[in-house]
Amino acid sequence: MNKLLLNSTVALAILASPAAAAELTVITAGDQNMVDYINDYLAPLFEQQNPGNTVRAVGTGPGDAGSQKILERFDAQAKADAATWDTDVAIVHEKFAGPMVQAGYLEAYRDKIATGKLVTRANADNALGTDVKGYVMPMFNSQTAVAYNPALVPNPPKSYAEIAEWAKAHPGQFGYNGIKGGASGVSFVMGWVYAFSGSDAQKLMYGPFDKAEEAKWDDAFAGLKEFTKSATLTPGNAGTLDLLSRGEIALGPVWVDMFYSWQADGRLPPELKLVLPAPGMPGQPMHYVIPAKAPNKDLAEKFVELATSPKVQAEGIVKKFNWYPGIDADEVKAELDDATWNKLFVDITPADLAEKGKPFPLAPYNTAILEAYEAKVAN
Amino acid sequence: MSAVLAAPRDYSSLRNLLWWLPRAVILGALAFVIFGPLFNMLVWTVAERWYFPHTLPIDYGFSYWGRVFAPRGNALQSLVASISIALFTVAGSLALAIPAGYALARLKLPLRGLVLLAFLLPQAFPNLPVYVNIARLFYEIGLNGTVLGVVLVHVTHGLVYAVWIASAAFSAVDRDLELAARNLGASGLKAFADVTLPLAAPGLMASAIFVFLESLDEFTGSYFVGAPDVTTLPLLLYSAGAGGNYQIASITALLLLVPSIAFMLVVEKFLRADVLAKVGQ
Amino acid sequence: MARFLGPLLVSPALIIILLLFMLPLAASVIGAFEVEGAYGLGNFTKAYDFYTQDIVFTAVIVGLSALLTGLLAIAIGGYLTLGENPTAVAILRWLYRWPMFIPFIVVGQILRTFLAKSGLLNSTLIALGLIDPLSATSYLDWRGVVIAFVWKQTPFVALMVAGAMASLDRGTIEAARNLGASRLRILVEIIVPQVTTTLLVGLVLSFVTMMGVLSVPLMINAQAPTMITADIAFRLSTYRDYGVANALGLISLAISGVAAWFYLRVNMRQSR
Repeated sequence: MNKLLLNSTVALAILASPAAAAELTVITAGDQNMVDYINDYLAPLFEQQNPGNTVRAVGTGPGDAGSQKILERFDAQAKADAATWDTDVAIVHEKFAGPMVQAGYLEAYRDKIATGKLVTRANADNALGTDVKGYVMPMFNSQTAVAYNPALVPNPPKSYAEIAEWAKAHPGQFGYNGIKGGASGVSFVMGWVYAFSGSDAQKLMYGPFDKAEEAKWDDAFAGLKEFTKSATLTPGNAGTLDLLSRGEIALGPVWVDMFYSWQADGRLPPELKLVLPAPGMPGQPMHYVIPAKAPNKDLAEKFVELATSPKVQAEGIVKKFNWYPGIDADEVKAELDDATWNKLFVDITPADLAEKGKPFPLAPYNTAILEAYEAKVAN
Repeated sequence: MSAVLAAPRDYSSLRNLLWWLPRAVILGALAFVIFGPLFNMLVWTVAERWYFPHTLPIDYGFSYWGRVFAPRGNALQSLVASISIALFTVAGSLALAIPAGYALARLKLPLRGLVLLAFLLPQAFPNLPVYVNIARLFYEIGLNGTVLGVVLVHVTHGLVYAVWIASAAFSAVDRDLELAARNLGASGLKAFADVTLPLAAPGLMASAIFVFLESLDEFTGSYFVGAPDVTTLPLLLYSAGAGGNYQIASITALLLLVPSIAFMLVVEKFLRADVLAKVGQ
Repeated sequence: MARFLGPLLVSPALIIILLLFMLPLAASVIGAFEVEGAYGLGNFTKAYDFYTQDIVFTAVIVGLSALLTGLLAIAIGGYLTLGENPTAVAILRWLYRWPMFIPFIVVGQILRTFLAKSGLLNSTLIALGLIDPLSATSYLDWRGVVIAFVWKQTPFVALMVAGAMASLDRGTIEAARNLGASRLRILVEIIVPQVTTTLLVGLVLSFVTMMGVLSVPLMINAQAPTMITADIAFRLSTYRDYGVANALGLISLAISGVAAWFYLRVNMRQSR
């Protein structure tokens, strides 16, 4: 009798536990729009579906630095042997998913949640050369492109070679943010290496890694150094957009989603347009990860499940924030009217994306290219 | 006699009037340089749409204020956190700096110059790598993510102002007054509490201003040791600013100015010249 | 007893510095010499290969900022001490302190909008007809960093210097004035020599502070060449390379060390 009572109390407690109020800590890298996305959209929705629980979003700043700070926190907690960590869900750049998986910090949760099977793109299985299958769920995919002001540039350059020529003829009118102020500049540099180096771009993107490739980049970087002399260096991803909006530059690489959001916010003139230059520029996903020692693991999985459901991907990711969906595009398209869906592809068509949307190079190439840039272009 | 004096006075008042020309130009330029950027920030806080080729915003409004103060915007919470951390930091620094400053000003101390220099060190080494190490240490002793942890980091950073200025404040106190109190039979501690400390108080308040400002400004340490449990305003400002959201960044910056300016108005009269002249010596 | 009282009173503050700064710093210093598990100078050669330009840039920028800060502080302090018009002195006294109370991170943010090509500075200069719209340029490069540093640090140094000037003996100044010496000459030949110690202390403090600021270079100019702090941040966040980051930290410390050496020398001379 007593045992029964005990058992039923335990059962009750287990049943009741998901309803117990918990605070879910979601920590995200990236620009302010990432925090806005959670605060303005995802968190209220989640709290409505899971009454009593609250979501707290913390932004760690843009670019790699933001993801690095998250990794830094994980490192510190692993080193201190903390039993539970202070993060339930983290949103990190593609580049940091690999090191986190290798360090054994993450929970393999993709197969445990219903939306796991909706992921179709290869970049959710392999992040810049590291197998991350099962550990990450893509939040969205994003793409860089070159924004231009049609009033100043009626016939925009359509390839890297034309951009180089154009910038030479219009000193100071092309702006990019180098490699230290966010990934849109990094992406432009990677595209430059794909276009002009002696390496086979396929090998840089898909491997295998071979240190000898580095020797083939000298000409590309000499050209980039020359090019950068006639370009304007902007402070950050947002800096490029800002200078475009103030008319200080006429052409510059930007994140497509930021571009559309700024336009929707009235921070960019509505006339500005995008072009994806040949042979292509990189894009990348942001990933949801759950630490193996997350304090509210079940709730965290629920959160990601909601975030990667077709409805949320359609409403939040595509409609509200102008990102390309993280899960299978057809699943998302079914949730939206054509007009909203097509809004994503006004300047850059799906065909453009298929042909000229590239991944970033493998992690070791990535590092080598950035270091070569520092040594040969910046120094 | 009086007529003789009157003529130069007229002449000098004319001269004085003419002198206002360059004075006004220079002071005006200075005012522009100082308040121009602040004014620019104010414009950004109420700009709804603003892009090329418009010199001024196209629409004005307060919609971004709504976003900053939205229940989830964290702004007010961070403001409270920032102010309380700054106040705790001031208290902690002063508690450490008063004995240290007194010793540096009045007592025999071996290697005095080096001791003063030791307090400068946390300012001198770029903080980033050091805070990574501190965060590890704090995780091990459970201080990470606590207000106390952030306060400790800020105290370390602000001690240079606290100790240097406290030491200057004590050395500005007339030693004879202290001796007189001792001669009247007061114990050393009583003489300190009744005479020296009250006389040094304005200087100590001045050091409080700088410690307060240092703490409000601190970003890297707060992030590594505090976030995500403790969020301060500079953290919000940085992520808004880096994201190019000038409206949100400007509103947050304005919020951050409120405690700074308020604190200044309260304690500015304590910024005494004779004390500041002795700082770090 | 009295011999130990001094060290005893200083020790709590020193222990905080020791535990919360020296100890983590020691880990950084060791890290700077660690190259893939062994000890060596590899991180320093890499720092040298990659960032010589930035190291020189940092030293020059901060040195120049300190110099300008010093000159402006003397000018402000001088006018406060020697100015003959009480109204003008009062206005200046009210005016110059403001930037001191504005945190660096706010300084970075507001100057970024103020100094931009289409910022308020240029639009005012254009409206006044001082420059024409086509020749307007953005100041968000090394100039922006210098302007931000000088803007923020001048009031602090000026406050200290003005304090020292105010506590000088008025007698000599009046005497020189009666002998017909110009105010500029009195400032340069009589006043400034007597406040050099205060000026130097203020400048050392400013120099060291400016060397460590990350928000200003990140917000105003994170491009090549940039400041050491921005490179450290980049080294950590992009490559997870603690070795070179720590080496850069030590190099920065060495540059600050030059300032600290000045300070110690002045301080020694004082206490003798």
